This record gives sequence, C-alpha cells and structure tokens, in this order.
Amino acid sequence: MPSYRVAGLAVASEIELPGAIAAVQAGAPDIMVRSGRVPTALDHASARGATWEIAGDRFLFRVPGVARFLLGGGREIVFEDAPGAEAADIAVFLVGTVLGILLHQRGRIVLHASAVRVNGKAVLFCGPSGAGKSTLAAALAQRGLPLVTDDFCAVSISGDGAVLVQPDGRNLKLWAQAIHRLDLAERRGARVRDRIEKFFVEPAAVYSEPLPMGTVYALREARPPHKAGIERPNVVDAALILRRSAYRPLLVNRMGQEADYFRAATAIANAAGIFHLTRALNFESMPEVVAQLERHWLDVGLAERAA
Amino acid sequence: MRTIWLASYPKSGNTWLRMLIANLSAKDGKPVDINDLPERGGIASARGPFDHLLLIDSGLLTHDEIDCLRPRVYEGLARGAEDDEYDRVEAPPPVRFVKVHDAYTLTPSGEPLLAGAHGADAAIVLVRDPRDVAPSLANHNRIGIDEAIAFMADKNAAFCGKPDRQYNQLRQQLPGWSGHAASWLEQKDIAVHLLRYEDLQADTAGTLRAALAFAGRPASEDGIERAVTFADFTQLREQERDKGFREGPRPRLGVNFFRRGEAGAWRDELSTEQVARIEAAHGPMMRRLGYELATADALARAG
Repeated sequence: MPSYRVAGLAVASEIELPGAIAAVQAGAPDIMVRSGRVPTALDHASARGATWEIAGDRFLFRVPGVARFLLGGGREIVFEDAPGAEAADIAVFLVGTVLGILLHQRGRIVLHASAVRVNGKAVLFCGPSGAGKSTLAAALAQRGLPLVTDDFCAVSISGDGAVLVQPDGRNLKLWAQAIHRLDLAERRGARVRDRIEKFFVEPAAVYSEPLPMGTVYALREARPPHKAGIERPNVVDAALILRRSAYRPLLVNRMGQEADYFRAATAIANAAGIFHLTRALNFESMPEVVAQLERHWLDVGLAERAA
Repeated sequence: MRTIWLASYPKSGNTWLRMLIANLSAKDGKPVDINDLPERGGIASARGPFDHLLLIDSGLLTHDEIDCLRPRVYEGLARGAEDDEYDRVEAPPPVRFVKVHDAYTLTPSGEPLLAGAHGADAAIVLVRDPRDVAPSLANHNRIGIDEAIAFMADKNAAFCGKPDRQYNQLRQQLPGWSGHAASWLEQKDIAVHLLRYEDLQADTAGTLRAALAFAGRPASEDGIERAVTFADFTQLREQERDKGFREGPRPRLGVNFFRRGEAGAWRDELSTEQVARIEAAHGPMMRRLGYELATADALARAG
C-alpha cells in the first residue's frame, strides 16, 4: 500500500496520492485512507454546510461528481467515488483538501500557505485560493530555494514557543499560463486533473524535514489603497492575519478551535515576523517581487550579506 | 434580511448605484470612500465565499463544475451565512444588495446559477444604452471599440472564463448585451425592477427612491438627497483620481473606472458604422428598453 508523510504523520492509502511526500512506513500508520461505503448524510449533525457535515468525531465532505469522504476521528478517511469519477480526481481532492480538513479535525494548526526554505528556515506565503501562493513559490524555487509546501502548511508549537513547520508536497500545482510565463515547461508533469489545465510541476529542489519558521508573508494584491511593498502590520493585525490564514477558517470556528489559533497566532508572531507582501498580481512584476524579498531577508537577518 | 441582486451588464452604472446606496448611510457629513464599498457580499462572482463556505478549492474545478455548486453558495449567503469568520456583521442591514454581472443562466445541472428565489428576494436590473456601454467597456478592458462591440454581440462571451489560469473572480457568462438583458427580464424566479442608467442620470433622486422602495430599503428624503450629492459622478471621478479605486481596472496609465458617465456620449465616440453594427445586433432589445435607434437600416430590421 502506498505510504506517505503528511504534516509529519504517516499516511497509508489504498490509492496513490500524487504530490504527497512518499515515505517508507514503519509500524502502524497515523492515518488510513481507503475506499468504502460513505453515507450521504450524518445523523445528529451539529454543524453543516452545503457540502459538509460534522457529527461528533465524524466529518462528511461531499465533492459532487468526484466522491464523498468520511473522516473519522482524524485517523481514517473513507471515500466513495461518484459514478464516472477517476482515481486521479479523488486523489487530488484527498491531498489538496481532505487531508487539510483532517488536520483541522486532529486539532492541528494548519495554514493556507506555500513555503520555501531560506537559510534553514521556512518562509511562508499565506493567502486564499488565487492569491498567488504557488506561483510565487515556483518563482523562488527557480532561484534555487527548496520547496517546503505548496498548499497547506502544518505548524507545531513547542512549550517554549518554538515554531516548527512540517513540509508537505513534492510538487507545485500550476496553471498552464503560469508555467508558460515562468518558463517552466521543462518541469511540467501530469495534469492535476484531466479536465483542468493545471499541472504538477517538479521544483529543482524540495525539502522534506521539519524546520523552524522564518518569516510569514500574507499575500495581497496592490490595488488602492494598498501600495506595492512589504510592510509590518501592528501586533493585533498580525494575529488576525494569521487566524485568517487558517487552511479553512470556517472549520476553526465550527470545531471550536478559535482559542488554539489565537494562541498560535501570538506564538508565530513572536517567533517569526509577519508581514504584508503587497504586489501587482501579474507576471511582469515577479522579478521585482523576488528581488524585494531577497533584500527583505537581509534586512530581517534571515539571509546574510555577502562579505 | 432581504437579498436584492443589483444585476447589470458591465459598465452600466452598477457601481454608481452601489455608491448611491452606500451614501444613504454616509457619516460625519462626508462622502463614503470609494474604497470602502463593502467587499464582502460585494459581487456574486467573488471566489472567496465559494471556497470559504463549501470548503472546496475552486482552483481544482472546471468553470462548469463551479457553476453547478454556485447555487449552494447563494442559498447559504441569503440565509445569513458569514463569508468571513473574523469580520462578522454585528447588525446586518435590512437589505443586502449584491452586485452581479452574470447573466441569469441555468447551471449544467439545470438549476438557476443564482439559486432563484433561494438566492435573493428580487433583482434591480440596471441597463444602459449599448452605444454608451461599448466605449466604456473598451476603456475598461483596454480593447478597441470594435472589439468591445464584437464582445457585446458574442453569445459565448464571458469575464474570467479562460481555462488556463485562475482569476480572482469566478467565470461570469455574458451572452451578449441583448442576451444578458433578456436573461434577467425573462426569468420567472424573482421579481425585477428595471432601472435605466439614463433615468438614474436624468432624475437621480426619483429613480433611486423608486428602486429603494422596490427593494424595501427604508430611506429618508434627507438621506436620498445626501446620497445624490455625495455619489455625484464628478465626486466619484475625483476620488478615483486622488486615491485610486480598488475595483477599477488593474493599474495602467490612463485607464480609469469612472470615465465619462454621460448618457449619449456615443454620438461623438462611435463612427456611424459602429452605431449601425450595435443597432443591427441589439435593435429589438434596444427598442424594448426605450433606446431609440439612429440608423434607418437597423430600424427596418428591428421593425
């Protein structure tokens, strides 16, 4: 059975999970992924949305046309495919969304972020879908920085306030336009799903061991009144930015984890700098954004100036 | 809480109407900042609420798959679901106005994209003379007027519809200027109040008052008067000039969101041939909406 490491946890899956970090398993897995019967609804749901329901330690998630997923106690994921669904479709939602939800279910701090490794530390780029996380990580990977994660980023905070980032993902997922504009055609792999023009892209280097958190950037588009640049928000805003950057903020609320995320936000704000990275959302500005980041890493002591 | 769509083809005064409504509650005797228009519930095609409420990454779905799920988002929001966990509205307004450029279409699974009566209580449909829309759209999209005219006649046209990238908004189908107006006026799911840009311009207070009455949004005469003054087109344009407009076209020299805002400016912006092309494509709907045709040719065809 294919085995993987997700957020530092051992995952055994009946189907292949492209993009997840493959790992040799010793002992029982922390998380088991298998196919099986999944109900269409849960009895006694305490919270529900159009595509999901929570009942006790069970979480039902429906992706119409793809599969239903039942997450049990943060330990097991059962999926039942929809008629006509392909295994690759199910896998991409498993890796991209369902495992992220499972981490919420386990009470983990998980951010919606991409990350690269800069001088031994993880530099995170947070933002909602479409904010440009993967594209920026791809551009930095082109500069030789190892990829740490592409979509979600699990964080562990130790008793003394040290913040560790768990790497996730060996691949970036990029749209055809981004691959073209960043000149990454040679690194392009399979389509993420047959029916969308989004592809796995293999970065030059990946980093797969836990590492301390360096800097966190919340991505923001340069539109009035926000001007392009890097700025440090005040302490209150910084904590709010982090809480907003939870992988699924809705679940933080529905699973009653606000206090955990509030504490995590404070710890992260103390251990790593939190900044707004505001830039034009286009490819022309990318070299300038990368240069700006490299200067910023010198300023905050994350990188050393050449002698 | 009532939900009212502010439905229009692009460049037809939707933002102006939103600014007028926002200025009904202007405080401290100052116009509302154009960059303070509420972003949340701002436009139906925003991507954020979709991902937030459904937990599904829209970046892994096709445009059609997204459309199949969009009704669920609008039902949820109409029932009061929050699209931002950290910025909850303390006192929801009596009426929630939501801008929408999407045509009123059915999803591939056959239900109204905007969830019919479950997505909103009614719609204010805002239309503008297509001869004035064309130059404005050309400016907004940085394309030529001929290209804008062709876009307005294309039944397969869309905003944010290319398959090779992710936009910050979901695809909005715009099946031609006529097709768009027809889709809203002919749907039977929710009540419609038709509002012409030209009437809003000629009698801003009266037209606004009628629209608010339809929407069930209480407003005092003082409030309406203040809104008309504060959201005067020159005002809006000055604000954009001074500090930029976050909803405007992406920054590029010489492109403004608030351009001329005049009615009938097409007479000196379009060639006779361009006018004829628009009227040939949209004659019947123009006549239905009370826009007099200028070319005899088009008149004959529309007749």
